[in-house]
Amino acid sequence: MTAYFLRLLRVPPEPTAPDGSPESIRIFRAGRNYYRWRLVVWAMTRLVGFTGAFIGIGFMMGIRMPAWASALVLAAELFVVGGLILALPFSYMLQRLNYELRWYIVTDRSLRIRSGIWSVEEITMTFANIQDLRIRAGPLQGWLGLADLEVSSAGGGGGARPGGKHGGTGNSHAARFAGVDNAQEIRDLIVERLRRYRDAGLGDAPADIASAAAELLAEARALRGAVS
Amino acid sequence: MPPVPAHIAGITRPVDRLMTYYVLKAAMTLIAFPVTVLVLYFRYRTMRYQFSEEGLRMSWGILFRHEVVLNYGRIQDIHLRSNAVERALGLARIEIQTASGSSSSVMTLEGLTDHDKMRDFLYSRMRGASEAKHDSEAGLAGILHEVAQELRAVRMALEKRS
Repeated sequence: MTAYFLRLLRVPPEPTAPDGSPESIRIFRAGRNYYRWRLVVWAMTRLVGFTGAFIGIGFMMGIRMPAWASALVLAAELFVVGGLILALPFSYMLQRLNYELRWYIVTDRSLRIRSGIWSVEEITMTFANIQDLRIRAGPLQGWLGLADLEVSSAGGGGGARPGGKHGGTGNSHAARFAGVDNAQEIRDLIVERLRRYRDAGLGDAPADIASAAAELLAEARALRGAVS
Repeated sequence: MPPVPAHIAGITRPVDRLMTYYVLKAAMTLIAFPVTVLVLYFRYRTMRYQFSEEGLRMSWGILFRHEVVLNYGRIQDIHLRSNAVERALGLARIEIQTASGSSSSVMTLEGLTDHDKMRDFLYSRMRGASEAKHDSEAGLAGILHEVAQELRAVRMALEKRS
């Protein structure tokens, strides 16, 4: 059933890792409790939806109107409530799939994040472009031992905020490791790999070149001293 | 930098299927369909790509012309996005971000035959995707070091002579 559904939607298989040394590839997945967290959020939004629909119906019943109009309203109400009920099993299934089809790949040079079912998204970012890392967890996430790790690149205008649909990113300059139970570990791994990058001379002030140039200058001065 | 592979350099126009997707996309706007489909049709007709050694160029529009040029090295992150309709047609969007102020993407590549290959190509040209830069910087430090040693040798020779 699920396999058929995925074929129907043409959801691509597991993503390939971006370039980097093969032994450095680490693939992280959402924590087991992430599914539970999604279910709670899903149940709450459904509850809000149904409550809203019933309040609307109650409101409409209080209004006196001609028979044809009330028939029309009844049809509309049935349509809305029926639609909400029909959508229940599908959106329930999507929660499970969304949890299962989620990959956070980290190599020695870059990271790739794949998420989503109906709308599939794959973000690729090199470490050279990373500006900051941030871990955040709401009260419910904290209780379930989950956290979101957010990796931002430069830029990002006003109004950009994390947390879009499907646990993707509202902020398109950030990649989100949503609902991981080892956020600290992933953070440390990325920080360590970033540090190696800076040491390799990709940082803003490559110390190697500066010290070599200083040595050259000192030698040139000494040479002039020897000549004059 | 290796030259741009022929299958990438040869891309100048989106594939025909993109128009099919645009018609479906316009149909979603119901009443506004005639206007939307016209706008999207002109976008499709005038869309041009150009992939050169240093960067890429994309242009579209008749009344409101747009032309975006950017360097591969300035790409911050690449998003490969697709909804179920696009995937049914074998399409996907590649959204490219730079470090400019806007939070929306700078460029959205649409209607490419092989979006995975294109994404991998763009990724390979991104800053930090390969070790090339690191090598050149380490090399520069090495050369400076050697020049200093040469100077030292010259000074030694001078001092010995005097």
